[in-house]
Amino acid sequence: MDLDSVFSNLALGFSVALSLKNLFWCLMGAMIGTAIGVLPGVGPVATMALLLPITYFLTPEGALIMLAGIYYGAQYGGSTTAILVNLPGEASSVVTALDGYEMAKQGRAGPALAIAALGSFFAGTVATFAIVLAAPPLTKLAQQFAPADYFSLMVLGLVLAVVMASGSIVKAMGMIFLGMLLGLIGTDVNTGNTRFTFGIGDLFDGIGFVIVAMGVFGIAEIIKNLGDPERRDLVSSKIEGLMPTKEDFLRCQWPVVRGTLIGGLLGILPGGGAVLGSFASYSLEKKLSATPEKFGKGMIEGVAGPEAANNAAAQTSFIPMLTLGIPSNAVMAMMIGGMMIHGIVPGPQVMDQKPELFWGMIVSMWLGNLMLVVLNLPLIGIWVKMLLVPYRLLAIAILFFCCIGVYSLNNLWSEVLFMAFFGVLGYAFVKLGCEPAPLLLGFLLGPLMEVYMRRAMLLSRGDPMVFLQRPLSLAFLIVSAVVLILVLLPNMRKAREEAFQE
Amino acid sequence: MRTRVGQDFATGLLFIVIGVGAILTIQFYDRLPMGIPQRPGTGVLPLILSWCLVGSGGLLIIKAVLAGDTALSRFAWRPLFLVTIAIIAFGLLVDGAGLVIAMVAALTLCALGTPETRWPEFAVFLVIMLAVGVGVFVWLLGMPIPIGPVRMPDWLSVILR
Amino acid sequence: MHRRKFLGLAGATVAATAVPAAGTRAAGWPDKPVKLILPYAPGGATDLLARPWSEVLSKAFGQQFVLEHRGGAGGMIGTEAAAKAAPDGYTFLFTPNATMTVLPSLRKTPYDPIKSFEPVGRTGDLVCGFVIHPSVGVKNFKEMVEYAKKNPGKLSYGSAGLGTATQLRLEMLKFKAGIDILHVPYRGSADALNDLLPGNVHMMNEINVLPHVKAGKLILLNINHSERNPDFPDVPTLTEHGLKDADVPIWYSIWAPAGTPKEITTAFNAKLVEIAKTDDMKARMRAINSQVPVQTPDEMRDYLEADTKRNAELIKAANIKLE
Repeated sequence: MDLDSVFSNLALGFSVALSLKNLFWCLMGAMIGTAIGVLPGVGPVATMALLLPITYFLTPEGALIMLAGIYYGAQYGGSTTAILVNLPGEASSVVTALDGYEMAKQGRAGPALAIAALGSFFAGTVATFAIVLAAPPLTKLAQQFAPADYFSLMVLGLVLAVVMASGSIVKAMGMIFLGMLLGLIGTDVNTGNTRFTFGIGDLFDGIGFVIVAMGVFGIAEIIKNLGDPERRDLVSSKIEGLMPTKEDFLRCQWPVVRGTLIGGLLGILPGGGAVLGSFASYSLEKKLSATPEKFGKGMIEGVAGPEAANNAAAQTSFIPMLTLGIPSNAVMAMMIGGMMIHGIVPGPQVMDQKPELFWGMIVSMWLGNLMLVVLNLPLIGIWVKMLLVPYRLLAIAILFFCCIGVYSLNNLWSEVLFMAFFGVLGYAFVKLGCEPAPLLLGFLLGPLMEVYMRRAMLLSRGDPMVFLQRPLSLAFLIVSAVVLILVLLPNMRKAREEAFQE
Repeated sequence: MRTRVGQDFATGLLFIVIGVGAILTIQFYDRLPMGIPQRPGTGVLPLILSWCLVGSGGLLIIKAVLAGDTALSRFAWRPLFLVTIAIIAFGLLVDGAGLVIAMVAALTLCALGTPETRWPEFAVFLVIMLAVGVGVFVWLLGMPIPIGPVRMPDWLSVILR
Repeated sequence: MHRRKFLGLAGATVAATAVPAAGTRAAGWPDKPVKLILPYAPGGATDLLARPWSEVLSKAFGQQFVLEHRGGAGGMIGTEAAAKAAPDGYTFLFTPNATMTVLPSLRKTPYDPIKSFEPVGRTGDLVCGFVIHPSVGVKNFKEMVEYAKKNPGKLSYGSAGLGTATQLRLEMLKFKAGIDILHVPYRGSADALNDLLPGNVHMMNEINVLPHVKAGKLILLNINHSERNPDFPDVPTLTEHGLKDADVPIWYSIWAPAGTPKEITTAFNAKLVEIAKTDDMKARMRAINSQVPVQTPDEMRDYLEADTKRNAELIKAANIKLE
């Protein structure tokens, strides 16, 4: 694409996105998104489904601009609850909770929230320009992926989760296996057989991610804190500065850039690649850090990188939807629904036939990100004040939000009981020194990996060599093996030394 | 503190118990088919994962016994028990008895979970939370949750029948 | 989504008003929002087809027609929920034929399409055909069949999932043309398209491929319908290719839980027929490559039985299993 057309396209986009009406819808979307992101359990998909009928009364541009705003607004809001009270409501904020919540406990909630917002804004800006400059070639790149490649990519993702864990490697691996097993509960979409449901009807569709995440993170944290006399409102005792220091910014600049790159690339993969972004970024930062042992104990890099990655992925996941009409996740499916309401058939022709819609939406995404930063930075002061509420009350509020959040997913009381179970399990993990993040990654990737494994085997007519014959797949597997060896070697040495000392 | 039966040992045990349970479920309860290489069946991945889980558990136990282990700290039984009961109460009450009763029950049970609770303060807080619950979730977000009692909860009518 | 609560409320209302009141209730129908249960996740073909209907119906009746997505287990969960809903004229099922005429022949379903439901009306047939990726090197239907005969099992076909009408379309083609093509089930047609565009899988038969045919990325081999499609006037139908009765139609319809007052289903059907004949609805349907046939509830029941019988025979003849 030549530069002239880029500029004329951008100009067209700005002319659409800067109209008063569209600015308003962009703001509305971003605000609704932030609100539902902060409320645990209420996700963007449910909200968009709720609002779809209303969008009929808007112009197609207004409708899509608002729907998109809800999506990336929710990403911003989601990190707020993850940092403040250890409640990741979205897959992408699981990683943010790891170091973000530790920072909050050290009285650094302000800098954590600020760096999350600024990192996301940077990533959003870069990713928007990536879409403008390189949507078609990026689409081609994503299309290089065959089922076998996806499978190997996910193997790599799981290996990275092992790197991420700060405790024992074997424990982390066990947690991944356990998470994958939990993810397989329910009806097997390929065959219709049910697995581990024990005849309970509400398990046929599997267990929701939010239920597991709130149980092992949110509820377990409440139990732990209420039973810990040492805690004594650690959070509210000391709150240092709302804004990151100069040192924080210096530490975060490269993690944000790397996070943007990783997240942006994984985001275009239409098959769960976006989930991997924040996990991959965290593992990378930990591996590159001079002090990897400090990760999980409040490293600001562990917030900045993954937050940038997940926002970049959120933006670039629009690419397959916009250029091919293929939804890469449930949110994009709702966007397609929004287009269809207005009689626009999603597909490769949208860019040519509806340039004002295409470019207007892309530019609005950048404007929306800007609005979110402007909106969120002043809010940080208010959020941090929330931590001044004594923990004995905060715990009760968190418990309530978890309960109603999970109940509102499907209006099933049984799912609230499942959350209670995962709360107990999560507390057991705390006591056993097991980190829950690898469990959640396994939970997300397990079912996907099975789908890709089956599809690859089917297409290769039962030949497992396909995983080694495809160059991309082979590369992922080699990287996985190398990473695994790098992680295991020092660990084994340490274990041997310990054994000798005995 | 180093012992031989601590965190790692207990984790190993937990993994093995879950793994073996899963294997037994796959083989004898769900009876999942294994398929052929071209079409791997429903049972293949769960079975592999279960064995991996058992393997990890075994390694953890061996490591704990050979290299020592971190001792388990005391469980906080009171919050563990009461928080769990509070969630279960919410779940069992919400769609029959309504949001208000479910919230009063769950939040009070949770408050019982810590000796730090100051009851007059809690009473005020409860009223605020009720206002948030009904105001934000039912009225503002329009979630279809009954506010007051509407009928007998499903689980109760099943028991009574 | 809100099945339990709804059942509870509806149960209470029905008990309070007792049976004879049904007639009077039907007279004022609908006097509160009506729920259409879709047995799949939002964003799919069912959703796309149901949205214009819910909008037009809401306007026509002056009451909201709310869509409720209850996906899972190949559509069984939502269909079951509709079957067990109160038959008071305020809950209906909006479904493709897969849940009604395909699934019951493949597995035990917790509902009986004939006994659990009353027919209401047809809401659209999806018109599409087999498409093939250009990398295979065949230009038309005849060449595809020749290629498949020379290379049995080498071509692959992506369906929207096991037990869907898109799978049956392939089985019917294999059966009628005597060729072997590998079936690869996907999780919905978007997922399949994603593997079709780079050529990981070679063929598909679902409406979401048509924009890519128009863009020249894929080749449309035929039309799976009794007549040619005005958007693709040069593409022959299956019958024209010499394969008679080889189409497996994908048709959408609305059903009421058994016991719903006849007055209501009749009134609903009349309105559906009236709307289907408007130019506005025809245009909306054509935008998603669909058209709406007109049928009375009785004709619809016969159609259901005929389609079930045909699919059951095909499933038996082709030995299709869910595993």
